[in-house]
Amino acid sequence: MTAPDAPGALVAPLDPAFAPNPTVDVANTSVWFGQKVALSELSCSFGPGVTGLLGPNGAGKTTLMRAITGLIPVNQGTVRVEGRNPRTDRKVHARMALVPEDEAVPPGLTARQLVRYVADLKAVADRTAPDRALDEVGMLDVADRRVDGFSKGMRQRTKVAAALVGDPRVLVLDEPLNGADPVQRAHLIGLFRRLGSEGRTVIVSSHVLNEVERLADRIIVIVHGRLAAAGGQRAIRDAMNDRPRHVLIRADDRRRLGAALIGLDSVAGIQFDTDSLVVATSRAAELALSLPALASELTVRLREVRPLDDSLESLFRELVR
Amino acid sequence: MTSTTHRPAPRVGVIVAYTLRSCIGPKRWLGCLLPCAGALLFGLLTHAMPEAAGESFARVAADGIFALVVPIASLVIGDAVLGAEVRSGVFHFTWLTPTPLTQIVVGRWIGGTLVALATIVPACALAALVAGDTEGVVPAVIASAFGASAYIAIFIAIGCVARRAAVWSLAFVFLVERLLGTALTGIAQWSPTWESRAVFVDWSPGAPQSIVRDGIPVGGGAVVRLVLITVIGLAIARWRLSRLRITGAAD
Repeated sequence: MTAPDAPGALVAPLDPAFAPNPTVDVANTSVWFGQKVALSELSCSFGPGVTGLLGPNGAGKTTLMRAITGLIPVNQGTVRVEGRNPRTDRKVHARMALVPEDEAVPPGLTARQLVRYVADLKAVADRTAPDRALDEVGMLDVADRRVDGFSKGMRQRTKVAAALVGDPRVLVLDEPLNGADPVQRAHLIGLFRRLGSEGRTVIVSSHVLNEVERLADRIIVIVHGRLAAAGGQRAIRDAMNDRPRHVLIRADDRRRLGAALIGLDSVAGIQFDTDSLVVATSRAAELALSLPALASELTVRLREVRPLDDSLESLFRELVR
Repeated sequence: MTSTTHRPAPRVGVIVAYTLRSCIGPKRWLGCLLPCAGALLFGLLTHAMPEAAGESFARVAADGIFALVVPIASLVIGDAVLGAEVRSGVFHFTWLTPTPLTQIVVGRWIGGTLVALATIVPACALAALVAGDTEGVVPAVIASAFGASAYIAIFIAIGCVARRAAVWSLAFVFLVERLLGTALTGIAQWSPTWESRAVFVDWSPGAPQSIVRDGIPVGGGAVVRLVLITVIGLAIARWRLSRLRITGAAD
């Protein structure tokens, strides 16, 4: 029998869908609404730090977040938060919070009253906690205004304050930056990153992909209710190496360069635009090595070389294709 | 030096305060006060009837106030305190806390009942006074208080069962209670309309015996039955709340 840490022992690579020290476990989970399958045998986990949840509209992100927080039951599989079932064990809600995407807020309450209401129900003993939570999201100066009169961004920030007031270990944020102005976005991104670095499990969904790039250490992509990819942004890209990537090249003599490029094994196709050419390649690293040499040989000056699909948005398009 | 910590308030009290502050908005108050104004009109109507004040008010109260005003006003309140909040997508602020579901249901019911005690019950008492039936005031107060609280429990339960809670609540009042309850004593025994009416007509000195319905508890027995209906309604609401899919307003 070989000890697991003995030299030469085979160590299975970690599945990127699973966090090393998970606080939220989703196992073989399916959720359906009548004939519509919202989540299909999804398995993944979330641990301390910020995890971005990506997917097109209707992919199942919100359903997953609601299942994690226990707002909806799962039809198959299990969801556990710190080992507890969030649907049946109400104590788990003392350590977990959700900021839903919905704009709806309780009418007739001020921001301070709403945050205090949540604090009271979570039995928060610190009477300064509501004001500190409001201050954290920059809403303290309007704390006595009614939330139903707030803009979308202000409502969202008030909901973030209501979520933070209980000092949650697990924070689930569904499109939390919706409606926030650029300054507030930057502030909230910094806040979420800090919460993640403090060891909290922060799960964030967003359609603004460059924000997810700035926010998340780890990304989980859901498409049609299934797990499409998981890992860091680079890891997802690496996992897609067999898919063609597109590189935009601007050069002095693009026709001559294009003619030479087409002869390379790493080039799958070339498309000429008005002032540039777009090269499709399945071996980007090889192309990156051979392109400067080829340009030098042809005495063609390269003005710009830029991958067109290195953003999360393009990864996402590839995955949902 | 002031302490920054405090003993958390009882959760039921917090929920009651929230219910009064947020769930019953200006439109709901109006929707509740309109039927209450109807109760006063019913009181005035008795002056056009040939019978004595006690008898005419008993007839109007039995067929108008307890069969129409109390259920409609209670529906407005009962739907507001839970069902409307679930539909509007803000119930998660309450649900996603460690508050036991029983406390949530009871807190909402107490909040709704307090509104009923401030609106429906005084309106019924005033209707008796307007009708000139001073002896009918106390029976009207007791019957409307227990009737409204039972209705609110039922409408909270319906709000946890059905998405179109207002429609199902109206169906309960007019199809189950009015239609089936008139024909079937077994249903009338569990109907807040029939039981609150039975409380009133049994305890109101001016009420004629002809409007007392046979086969259902009356007086104190009817009060006990209304309390039982309340408890059953709250138990159903508690049970359904644990199985509710809490989705957003757009879903």
